[in-house]
Amino acid sequence: MRTRRRVRRRTGLPVVATALVVALGGPAVPARAAAPDAATPHAAAPDVTAAPVTAPSTVDMAATGLAERPYLGWSSWSMQSSKYPGLNPDGDYSYLTEANVLKQADALATRLKPYGYEYVNIDAGWWRDNDWTPRFDEYARQTPDPVRFPRGMKAVADHIHAKGLKAGIYLPVGLEKEAYAGGAAPIWNAPGCTTADIVYPDLRTTNGWDSAYKIDFDDPCAQRYIDSQARMFADWGYDFLKLDGVGPGSFKSGDNYDNVADVAAWQKAIAATGRPIHLELSWSLDIGHAADWKRYSNGWRIDTDVECYCNTLVTWENSVDDRFDDAPAWSRKAGPGGWNDLDTLNVGNGAMDGLTQAERQTYMTLWAISKSPLYTGDDLTRLDDYGLSLLTNSEVIAVDQDGAPPARPVTPAGDQPVWAAKNPDGSWTVALFNLADAPASVTAHWASLGFTGKATVRDLWNRKTLGTYKDSIGAALPAHGSRLFTVRPGGPALVTTRYEAEAATNTLSGNASVAGCDACSGGQKVGNLYLGGKLRFNDVTVRRDGIYTVAISYVSGDIRSATVSANGGNGTSLRFPSTGDWGTAETVSVQLALKAGANTITVDSADWYAPDIDRIDVPQTP
Amino acid sequence: MDIRNTEPHDIRPSRRGLLALAAASGLVTALGGLPTFAASAAPRRPTTSPLLDPEDAARNQLWWKAPGAAGSLIEQGLPVGNGRLGALAGNDPANELLAITDATLWTGGLNDTLQSDGQFPYGRDDFGSLTQLATLTVDIPGHDLGVVDAYRRTLDLAQGLVGATYDVGGVTYRRQIFASRPDDVIVLHFTQEGRGAYTGTVSLAGTHGEATTVDAARRCASFGASFANGLRYGAAVTVHSASGTVTVTGTSIAFADCRDLTVVVSGGTNYAPDQAAGFRDPSVDPERLARTKVLAAAREPVRDLLHTHVADVRPLFERFAVDLGPSPAWLRELDTWERVQARWRDDVPDPELEAAYLQFGRYLMISGSRGSLPLGLQGPWLEGNDPDWMGDYHTDVNIQMNYWLADRAALGSCFDALADYCLAQLPSWTDVTRRLFNSPTNRFRNSTGRVAGWAVAFSTNPYGGSGWWWHPAGNAWLCQNLFEHFEYTQDRAYLAKVYPLLKGAVEFWAARLVTSTVTDASGVSREVLVDDADWSPEHGPQDARGITYAQELVWQLFGNYLTATQVLGRDSGYAETVAGLRERLYLPEVSPTTGWLQEWMSPDNLGETTHRHLSPLIGLFPGDRIRPDGSTPAELVAGATALLTARGMNSFGWANAWRSLCWARLKDAETAYRLLATNLKPSVNGGNGTAMNLFDIYETNPGRGIFQIDANLGTPAAIIEMLVYSRPGHVELLPALPAAWAAAGSVSGVGVRGGFVVDVSWANGRVTRARLTSTGGRSTTVVAGGRARRVDLVPGRSVTLGDF
Repeated sequence: MRTRRRVRRRTGLPVVATALVVALGGPAVPARAAAPDAATPHAAAPDVTAAPVTAPSTVDMAATGLAERPYLGWSSWSMQSSKYPGLNPDGDYSYLTEANVLKQADALATRLKPYGYEYVNIDAGWWRDNDWTPRFDEYARQTPDPVRFPRGMKAVADHIHAKGLKAGIYLPVGLEKEAYAGGAAPIWNAPGCTTADIVYPDLRTTNGWDSAYKIDFDDPCAQRYIDSQARMFADWGYDFLKLDGVGPGSFKSGDNYDNVADVAAWQKAIAATGRPIHLELSWSLDIGHAADWKRYSNGWRIDTDVECYCNTLVTWENSVDDRFDDAPAWSRKAGPGGWNDLDTLNVGNGAMDGLTQAERQTYMTLWAISKSPLYTGDDLTRLDDYGLSLLTNSEVIAVDQDGAPPARPVTPAGDQPVWAAKNPDGSWTVALFNLADAPASVTAHWASLGFTGKATVRDLWNRKTLGTYKDSIGAALPAHGSRLFTVRPGGPALVTTRYEAEAATNTLSGNASVAGCDACSGGQKVGNLYLGGKLRFNDVTVRRDGIYTVAISYVSGDIRSATVSANGGNGTSLRFPSTGDWGTAETVSVQLALKAGANTITVDSADWYAPDIDRIDVPQTP
Repeated sequence: MDIRNTEPHDIRPSRRGLLALAAASGLVTALGGLPTFAASAAPRRPTTSPLLDPEDAARNQLWWKAPGAAGSLIEQGLPVGNGRLGALAGNDPANELLAITDATLWTGGLNDTLQSDGQFPYGRDDFGSLTQLATLTVDIPGHDLGVVDAYRRTLDLAQGLVGATYDVGGVTYRRQIFASRPDDVIVLHFTQEGRGAYTGTVSLAGTHGEATTVDAARRCASFGASFANGLRYGAAVTVHSASGTVTVTGTSIAFADCRDLTVVVSGGTNYAPDQAAGFRDPSVDPERLARTKVLAAAREPVRDLLHTHVADVRPLFERFAVDLGPSPAWLRELDTWERVQARWRDDVPDPELEAAYLQFGRYLMISGSRGSLPLGLQGPWLEGNDPDWMGDYHTDVNIQMNYWLADRAALGSCFDALADYCLAQLPSWTDVTRRLFNSPTNRFRNSTGRVAGWAVAFSTNPYGGSGWWWHPAGNAWLCQNLFEHFEYTQDRAYLAKVYPLLKGAVEFWAARLVTSTVTDASGVSREVLVDDADWSPEHGPQDARGITYAQELVWQLFGNYLTATQVLGRDSGYAETVAGLRERLYLPEVSPTTGWLQEWMSPDNLGETTHRHLSPLIGLFPGDRIRPDGSTPAELVAGATALLTARGMNSFGWANAWRSLCWARLKDAETAYRLLATNLKPSVNGGNGTAMNLFDIYETNPGRGIFQIDANLGTPAAIIEMLVYSRPGHVELLPALPAAWAAAGSVSGVGVRGGFVVDVSWANGRVTRARLTSTGGRSTTVVAGGRARRVDLVPGRSVTLGDF
């Protein structure tokens, strides 16, 4: 029986994948679980008090100097997980070998290092053979498979370091079931501690695959186990650890899958080694715990695997395009010390990636404006010219690395959203996207960025200054295409009139009601806009006829839709990106025709749930 | 009353332009019919440029900011056509893509073996299907959209030109695509301004697995093949440039460093509209003919090809002009698709867009209905080989709607394709009807046991074949169109030509009608003639006698036939018989239960209330037995209005167009206009409405939309019907002018039944000036602003009317 631990599909994707997990689940529950001896573990841990016990770390991860900017590099998993011909000749995931890792490290050093790529990250399987059977040392620590890594892991790290690069390694969260060893395995450098001490007596499982026993950090032995693993990695010389299957997240919730304590233990253990090791968390981390992730780690995967587990590395639909929906919620969570990780960036070889040129450019555009780590999973020895041009575009990398907050969608109508972020120097990063399956034109209106008049536009992908554009810039985009600009305003700020949602002059219908909102202007918003509930702004007054870019400030903890219309028109159905939680307001814009004099603007929940509305801002001129 | 007789010269700029062009080149007479894909004489070339100056051309141009691509051509491709060959152009800078369709490339055949239920098979092999001929690609790898700026594509309706411009690396590149009828080719001309050049590949591929071969010496690629039904077909392309190199590589044609590039493509079949010849012309080798045509055209300067094409289409386009008033300036900054979206979003009238939508319909007809088969469900614009409903001729509204526009919009010559089609099919239709209609399993058979004349099913193909169910009244409805064309033109020779169709349909009904006894409200009984077991399209009982749809159509048919016998001086004895039958025809009543005009001989609603078809209202439109002008009993008008109201306001494109036409007839301008606005709703995810390229999209099921051309032609007919209503001897100006267009506007070249053309200008909702020209009519009543006046004219003369 093969155990395939990394089958991670989003809910609703092929049932086959789910069935596989069930059919190939972990080994039978060990005998210990059937007859737990609750008395044993604590009684047998006399030395624990001797270990230095510190209070939970309050160190801001930014202070470590790690992840000051999103990291760049390479990861092994994309090629491991692919059915692309020739990649895994010795069975699934068999790509992961010392020879392959070093080959990629050499290529990274030669071709991409000058552009800032530095991490070479070994993903799952380094301690498992080609049948996926794991190997542990006497202290229940993962130990390298001698076929994959005949010289061990330190030699690999040494080679990577010799190239001027940094080495990354991987672990699943929890005590892997196969490491338990009947509870008898001693913990390294923790006299009296065994694996039995660090888990719960009922051997409850944890992580995204339920492949490990949940660690009980109430027992001091538990921290010692993490310390022993961290020490091992530090001794080997690793600079990066991806901790995988972490919850809440990894498609799991509930107490057994709450791994915040594990992550905290890792942060503490790493600090204790004295070696700076970047700690990255995976996958689909619960945004509700964003503060925890930010406190204890340097980055967190916001989404499921980008890989398709198919004949290419990825496909557009499975699941590059999911990030457009899922990234906005996290836009205010990232910053120096910890970044939103959109997963591997596979744009280097069109045939292997399984993407069109347009899709590859769009992929990297979203990653860059989201300030995601940029680590490719491509075969770096086989980058095509276009892929190399993408991965080495220093202007786009600079957007990723500028330390500013991620971009957000500013005009989210239909399949042609415009995303933007204001840069520290007052310019704007503006990305046009066409997510539709057919070509489309996409336009960014300066008014949606809060300024008017002329602005100079730099085309980052084509590395040329396009010139001065008045009021807007548009482009024809192919299916799944994009453009990325730096826009430097030259005109005045937009003068707008504010209309608060909670104003008494507005008309609420359905169950719509005014509620308090600390994040909102005026301290109030209109909520309960659902199933036909409407908010109508009355007497929106402008001086002349025309199309106006109306800004809508809203609060929405998830993605919601509403139809926004003027003067009884049919309006536009807008898909409001999540603001991350119900205490944060964001702004999007919509184009509406207004006539000189008084107008109405209506936000209609139609047949589903709309966001809560803070206010609208209407320009004084079209 | 201010009536000034004037000389028959024309003062309208468009007409003047037409005459000037015709005088310059003699083209109007030189370019006669081109009934099939056949060798043609060298076209006469205009001696002066017929091109409009850019400012004038801009008045009838649509434009877009994005191209189309493979898989999206139905919604994003721009149509060109020479009446037989149609193509959808994607205009991607790096990948020009043309889906090319020949209107005659049909599988199937006579299809005269009925199923066990007495109805026709309806498959792609037996009945057949229109299919795509070829895909032409021009790959220019250096022009990927990712490096392109300032992209813009245009569709020039007046001159029949698709164009695209864009910048790459500081060079402006231009391409122009047109389908020439005189040269019988499609031309793609690539130019640039600066120091640019084109490098890439031209490929021509069949869509049925054909092998393309190349002629290296002539730099020509072609393919030819035949269907199981014996139809031969083929296509060819050639490429040339004044600079750079053009070479054959594999089965493609490569070009490198060409500062300009001309690609000429043609193709066709050996279809012949002749039942006696088995609908084939054995003398035609389509592949060879296509090669001959492209090589001949490629020998001409591309400018001459362009001028010849524009001189061919521009006069036709300019016979009609419409101005529904100015749109707000800020809408003019939007491209056509953005305007469609803004029109819906803000629900603010966009008169320029609405007028352009009308002209787009005319453009489709000019491009798709000249000298070959008529426009079916999609015209000659397919992407793929399996169009829904075979892209066929649907006889229970769709093909009829396609041609409602022709005479109204000064495209009477485009109507010929329909008349010629029906004539060519008549021998088969007659034969199949005689042999099969009274099959004992056909639930629609004549219980009289007699059969005569001709009938068709709901679908027809170009091989004399019918598909799906028998449709008894289909013949009468086709004849309604055929006769109406005579009413517009007063062309006796034409009437004589189609007379056998009219008479055959009459004979069919004379054999079919059965007697029934009806009792009126006062208890008086009378014997009437009714349709036998039938189905009111496409809902309700399938064995109903005396359905309103058939009764109205037969009533019209008999009346039209009687007129034809009088005009032509023929069959006076039989005419008396028919007149007697007509007297006895049952005509529908208003239901005392629902208040609706009855669809069946029942006071009850036996079908779907909001059904798409308006079959029982056929006497309101396209017929005019039901009129809101006092000449029809008010109760009948009220019943029709109530039924139309019940049918609702939200249906498929063609069904909305028909509703709009009916509301226009009822002079309810705002309701008619609202249906136009509904059809202009942008189609999203295949939803009903208008695609980016203005094609009407019909949602077959959620998330899947298809193109159906009928709404693109029927909605424009509704716009005209809102401006001018006519029946022989009666014209009403601005019968249903909506507020959106009331401020000021004009329309010229509108066909008037009875043999006239009218031009109308208005301001503040009132006619300011009208001009009536006789194209054969001698007298009519003109009604405007509640005032009627009689006008007598000699054919060829005009009169200007003022003082309204």
